[in-house]
Amino acid sequence: MRRGLYLLREAFANVRINRTTTVVAVATTAFTLACVGVFLLLYVNLRTVAGSLQEDIRVMVYLDDGLAEETLSEIEQRLKVDRAVASLTYVSKERALAEFQAQFPSESHLLEGLGQNPLPASFEITLAPQFRSSDSVKRWAERIQTLPGVAQVEYSRDLIEALARIIRHIELAAIAAGVILSAASVTIIANTIRLTLYTRRDEIEILRLIGATRAFIRIPYLLEGAFLGGLGSALSLAILKAGFEFVQHQVASTGRFLESWLSFFPVHLCLLLVLAGVLLGFAGSFVSLSRFGETRS
Amino acid sequence: MMIQLFHVSKYYDRRPALSNVSLEIEKGEFVVLMGASGAGKSTLLKLLIAAERPDEGQILVQGRNVAKLRPSEIPYLRRKLGIVFQDFRLLPKKTVFENVALPLMVQGTAGFEIRRKVTEALKAVGVDHKREQFPRSLSAGEQQRACIARAIVNGPIILLADEPTGNLDPELASEIIELFKLINARGTTVMVATHDPQVMAQVNRRIVTLMEGKLVADQRLGA
Repeated sequence: MRRGLYLLREAFANVRINRTTTVVAVATTAFTLACVGVFLLLYVNLRTVAGSLQEDIRVMVYLDDGLAEETLSEIEQRLKVDRAVASLTYVSKERALAEFQAQFPSESHLLEGLGQNPLPASFEITLAPQFRSSDSVKRWAERIQTLPGVAQVEYSRDLIEALARIIRHIELAAIAAGVILSAASVTIIANTIRLTLYTRRDEIEILRLIGATRAFIRIPYLLEGAFLGGLGSALSLAILKAGFEFVQHQVASTGRFLESWLSFFPVHLCLLLVLAGVLLGFAGSFVSLSRFGETRS
Repeated sequence: MMIQLFHVSKYYDRRPALSNVSLEIEKGEFVVLMGASGAGKSTLLKLLIAAERPDEGQILVQGRNVAKLRPSEIPYLRRKLGIVFQDFRLLPKKTVFENVALPLMVQGTAGFEIRRKVTEALKAVGVDHKREQFPRSLSAGEQQRACIARAIVNGPIILLADEPTGNLDPELASEIIELFKLINARGTTVMVATHDPQVMAQVNRRIVTLMEGKLVADQRLGA
């Protein structure tokens, strides 16, 4: 217990000794992690937007004209038991015509000239959330298309695929930025710790000579790194939150509907990001201690 | 036998700092390691605390081969030894009490035990009244006493001192040597490396002389 307190006190003494370097390291780490955070925030929000759009996506299964009653109920039965189908509504030829006339009253005379109802009967389907990805919808549509009595399966393919593409790109950019900028954070913290190690090299030497183990010597520096990383990460979240509020305010003032879709990181993700900062700081210290030759006895 | 060296050699850039040194020191002995600067005294002490490894020969401390210790075992050897430096090496930002408590702290000694042992050590060297002060406010003699307190607080089996009187005037040096004699009288093996003839005369025990890395004399003077 006493030893634990001692190590903790030493870690904070390190922070105090190199106050300016600590401030610079925390600020630089915060801005670096904030850059990663921008991509992450974009990714999280785009996924939300995509999720909302995908909820609105309806798949239309158009049926052949003049289907026998049993074929129709067979198709309906097949669709009802399908895991991918969340809900379905049968739209008869008559209802399709009525809806068309209701939606486009000025164009309804076009159909009257044909003498008979040209609109096919259909099932309007909402897919279960786990089957809403671009690939899943495509695979499902291809399968249903082969059912006897099904004339055509239609869905907003372009929209789904474009969204999937954008999300994939943002995801890649977030990963690339994450890796590069995390490495930068590790380097910044490593350099700060190296400075502390240099300042306290005599003390480290004395600790070695009086029988301190490697762990005893290293722990304050590892704690210091973890503290810098965690603080940098927390600060980056504050910067991001401020930026986010600003953007949200701007969007709200334009009166666009997007405002309701924008959201900041949920609490658990914020905690995870602070933890990631702690781990990066820890890694930075570890790198410095290894280079400093703390492995020597 | 407390310390045994068998044909120990150590080279720096192919130049011998110690050359074929063999030596045996018994428990409770007081040995003065004499020699001019560069004779190999500090190298020998470094080998004993495993800060360096010999290039040839074997070193046994209480029967354990120091040269073959794994890095993780070295701190446990050092906890049995007390080390006194010429430049004191006290931590400037810690009080005298905290400096002396350090060897106990690294071992995870309980708080009440630390207080008891540190007080005992500070009283033994006569700087208990300075316990809350920082090293910079102490005289050179007091700093060396605090350094000795740190070295003995663990109850070491061997006390090693490298030029402990080098930064002190003759009167203070004499007091420090008396302190070593007192510690030795309590059963601790003491080895003092020095080039100061005053130390040799005052100790008047066993004198081991090194010259250019070679052991050239091993004399036992009056008890």
